[in-house]
Amino acid sequence: MSWLYLAIAVVFEVAVGIAAGKANGFTHLWWTIATLVSGGIATFFLSLALLTFDVGIGYALWTSLAGVGIVIVGALFLSQKLTWKKFLGILVVIGGVVGLNLAGTA
Amino acid sequence: MTTSTTSAAPIQGEKRGGAWIALLIAGVFEVGYALSVNGSRGFTDPLWSIIAVVFFLFTLFFLSVALKRIDVGIGYAVWAGIGAVGAAVLGPVFFDETLTLAKGFWLAVIIAGVVWLKLADSPELDTRTQPAT
Repeated sequence: MSWLYLAIAVVFEVAVGIAAGKANGFTHLWWTIATLVSGGIATFFLSLALLTFDVGIGYALWTSLAGVGIVIVGALFLSQKLTWKKFLGILVVIGGVVGLNLAGTA
Repeated sequence: MTTSTTSAAPIQGEKRGGAWIALLIAGVFEVGYALSVNGSRGFTDPLWSIIAVVFFLFTLFFLSVALKRIDVGIGYAVWAGIGAVGAAVLGPVFFDETLTLAKGFWLAVIIAGVVWLKLADSPELDTRTQPAT
């Protein structure tokens, strides 16, 4: 269940990343509202996930998987380039998440 | 993405110093945010819940101030790095948690990955790697 909460928190944190970029330094009203609402929902589900995960682990998983999600959404829908550097970053994050699980600590 | 030419005027450098301080403050508030979200126990503890919301707004505010002057990729990388390292190191200090060697190692890999990912999104670093004309 904690992984489901974390997944929902990650999806909304990806929305925060996209909306915050569009809000243009929070000068654009509706994207600013979208940022705050998504951030609120993401925070709520993160807090549910952290009932199980240690804060250091849960927070790192949340922020890094959201970072991966932002790059993937950007490449798929916002015509941003998926460079080899970004691809390498995604691999390192996923490698770390897998390692953490195999070590039985997540 | 368009890249702006950076002129190394002293005045701009001074403003950037302020931006870096804002970025560090944003990072500290992000650590506070992570810890208070944990302390809110699923938003059932009213005091920590309110503190979490306040820290969330502060971190967004200082981050937006910082990113007006600092390159977005570098700014996000530093901010995310401070937040994740801070939460991992201070979690065991404030809560009943342990940071073992294995946990610390894999956390370091994940954090390095996300910092790298943010840096890869930097327009400024991108132009720096281009051959100078």
